Amino acid sequence: MKLSDIAQVIRSKNAGPRRLTLDIMLGSDADYQRVVQSPTLGRDHIAGLFRVAAEDVIIIPYPVGRAIKIVLARQVMAGDPGDRDIYGAQQHAPLLGIEIP
Amino acid sequence: MSASGRVIAELRRSPRPIRLLGASGQLGYGIPAPSFRAGIERKPDLIGCDMGSIDIGPTYLGKGEMATSPQATRRDLRRVLQAARSLDVPLVIGTAGSAGAAPHLDATLATLREIAQADRLSFRMAVIRADIPRPLLASAVQAGNIVSFDGMPALTEADIADAAHIVGQMGMGPFRKALEADVDVIVAGRACDTAIFASLPAVLGLPVGLAMHMAKIIECGSLCCVPGGRDPILAELDHDGFVLESMNPERRATPTSVAAHSLYEQADPFTMQEPDGTLDLTHARYESVDDRRARVSGAVWRDTTQPTIKLEGACRIGERAVLLCGSADPRFIAQCKALLPKVAELVQSLVCEDQPVDYTLTFRVYGIDGVRMVVPENEPPPQEIFIIGECIASTPERAAEVVRSCKQFLLHYGYPGRLSTAGNIAFPFTPPEVSLGPAYRFNVYHLLRVEDADSLFPVEIETMSNASAPG
Repeated sequence: MKLSDIAQVIRSKNAGPRRLTLDIMLGSDADYQRVVQSPTLGRDHIAGLFRVAAEDVIIIPYPVGRAIKIVLARQVMAGDPGDRDIYGAQQHAPLLGIEIP
Repeated sequence: MSASGRVIAELRRSPRPIRLLGASGQLGYGIPAPSFRAGIERKPDLIGCDMGSIDIGPTYLGKGEMATSPQATRRDLRRVLQAARSLDVPLVIGTAGSAGAAPHLDATLATLREIAQADRLSFRMAVIRADIPRPLLASAVQAGNIVSFDGMPALTEADIADAAHIVGQMGMGPFRKALEADVDVIVAGRACDTAIFASLPAVLGLPVGLAMHMAKIIECGSLCCVPGGRDPILAELDHDGFVLESMNPERRATPTSVAAHSLYEQADPFTMQEPDGTLDLTHARYESVDDRRARVSGAVWRDTTQPTIKLEGACRIGERAVLLCGSADPRFIAQCKALLPKVAELVQSLVCEDQPVDYTLTFRVYGIDGVRMVVPENEPPPQEIFIIGECIASTPERAAEVVRSCKQFLLHYGYPGRLSTAGNIAFPFTPPEVSLGPAYRFNVYHLLRVEDADSLFPVEIETMSNASAPG
């Protein structure tokens, strides 16, 4: 099943102009457990999707909000020449199709 | 006695939960009137508004302009000012004018003075500037008191000289000082969103951890609710926790929705660094009061031993002009990523001739890679694309010259297999070239280590005297 079929929220935003934070929120504890344990939400897989080094990816499970946070370094600082998304609000697309076993 | 003095005295004399109204997460885009009225009917002890953010990018800070329109800004300011004066409670505004540097603060003050005069309002106002003097920053660079973070290169004295404006994010200290100076209105330059709401509870001796956690949530209005939205939100804070309630009856603050809000625009949902210390939410608890209200407790505060102020500065990098056009030709679309650099080369040969290249010209192709920072390989081509050609040059004239030449040669550029020999691109309107004015980038985003953070943000008092007309 695809992540976009399970999650209630999949979003991205700047956390300051040099980092991107992506949140995945689930509607039930069962969905949360299923997603948080998925190897496709591991550091290596996420690094591959966003073409960054695995050590530049932080994944934070947040059970009280039934959510998973991913933090990445932005390759282009917000507002620098060549930036495509000043707020970083549209960088969640690579997460949508992640297969969850 | 002015509003802050009255509220502090009253709450000290007869302690009770303190009510804070988060009126707007971004003042100047409109405040929904019904939910604001509902908030005022609850008689809050303070009305707070956040007016800015770094998220809007470097240009507003650099240029000294607001992101919001003057009309909408005036309407929102008038709404919150009138309400605060009618209830005689403090109105606290942070990050005035979108970016919180001198021109933003001054424009906000000018609007407030004009409203006060038109509505014959008299009040005492604290003004807190957030501009950090360049000589102080240059000395800090030399003394090694500027710290880089998030991979930002080290700050240089040249960066300080280049920046059009440099502000620091103030914490609670200056707000506390202003509240204790017996005022009706506080208008601050660049400030931490939390300081707007946490400072009054801190003055009253309520736990700072709870006050900070509450402030972090209500500075965004009803965004912590389901469905989330921009309506005003009321928080009731006591010594053990706080209760959240949206002033729009359709928005519900649930334990999960409020807990999830701690993720918003934060890299770490458990610990948050503030100028005055660290907010630790590891043991935060979220409970339901009823189906529309949540109660939050458990946040812990640790005072810092080394105050740091986050600096933000933007420098001009040139003048921006853009070309706007699209295409529906499958052959052009299939080859465009290779064709656009060739067109750029041709343009360069024409506008530069023998002189060195003095501009940048870049393309974003919507439908292919206009939005995404990472694009998967082998995606099927879209049926239509939209292209933004962006030039940054030293003068507006030069930037316009480059994008105008680019328009003509992109329109008629010949390539192998071309069928549409009358033109490669469609223009939604003419002129398709737009001059956007100066372009900026953030060249200061660093931490300043200081002994006394509050001394950077002086509190000035201004008295508005506009007595009612006789009769």
